Amino acid sequence: MMMNTPADSATDYSAPALTEGIAHVVAINGGKVWLEPEQTGSCGGCAASGACGAKGIGTVANRLEARRFQIENPANLVVGERVVIGVRDNALIKASITAYAVPLATLLTSGAMAQWRFGSDLITMAAMVAGLGLGLVFSRMGAGQLLMRGDLAPQFIRRARPGETCNHD
Amino acid sequence: MKEYVLLMVSAALVNNVILARFLGLCSFMGVTTRIDTAVGMGMATTFVITVSSMADWAVQSFLLEPYGLGYLRTVTFILVIAAAVQFTEMTVKKVSPPLFEMLGIYLPLITTNCAVLGVALLLVEGRMSFIASTLFAFASSIGYSLVMVMFAGLRERMALADVPRLFAGPPIGFIVASLLALAFMGFSGMSTS
Repeated sequence: MMMNTPADSATDYSAPALTEGIAHVVAINGGKVWLEPEQTGSCGGCAASGACGAKGIGTVANRLEARRFQIENPANLVVGERVVIGVRDNALIKASITAYAVPLATLLTSGAMAQWRFGSDLITMAAMVAGLGLGLVFSRMGAGQLLMRGDLAPQFIRRARPGETCNHD
Repeated sequence: MKEYVLLMVSAALVNNVILARFLGLCSFMGVTTRIDTAVGMGMATTFVITVSSMADWAVQSFLLEPYGLGYLRTVTFILVIAAAVQFTEMTVKKVSPPLFEMLGIYLPLITTNCAVLGVALLLVEGRMSFIASTLFAFASSIGYSLVMVMFAGLRERMALADVPRLFAGPPIGFIVASLLALAFMGFSGMSTS
């Protein structure tokens, strides 16, 4: 049982919880590095492995290349190094709400109001499309605010140990 | 109003996409190891199911039915779903590239999610109005997301439990899923009177 194990004194419980993943450095551009998320060996081990099952649309290599991202280079990383990066634990939920829930809410609200006011399928359809467009504008504004607060930015945590993967199971 | 509420409760709980109709089981087992990934997948699927069902209703009402092309329904709906996923991917990328980096991995999985096609075919079977079909699709996908998040929460707890080695991993997951399905059967006893 883990319950009686004394807590690790080095663990900082006040720090925000992070969802971790492994990426490798593919390019360096001034003070920033380009990272590519690593493909995992098996599906279901981590969130990134979801892309492995989607081989039908382009190759895995293409998809990983499309998912390259840039972060600051705080530890003088060099090309080829593997690093552990993380995003805040609730970042994915906030991002999902911003990208999907906001446009859906405006779409359904405008559709319901049009149906109640006019009772015509064609007008309801047009109102829903307009509501979707409006929702996407709100979504863009919300994403901008998240970005300004740094909620969406991945952070460098440490260099990955040899043989380390994102499969913790 | 009451009929819309009943339609939505029926679609989300009584005839739940995953636990009553057994659709979307691949994502149900594959993306429920963590609650936040389940929420991400659930929301993306909700968006795609709602948008694609609107498009499917229009295609069915203005193209397939008037011209007697019902035999092309499945192929056409698959095309519409793929287009809706592509539209979502492009829109999220345009609206916010950082959001796309975070959520983009879920979108290709939705193209092959049979729950999306299943809901579209159920709409045709139900011969509903536009608003009713959109609400039905939305409620079905809310039911899907609800079950995904519940199951992810259970799996996170199971990861800390002392499961016999023979049952560890997917076997205990299937047992829990079957118990969850039994619990959802209770909703079929609901009465509106």
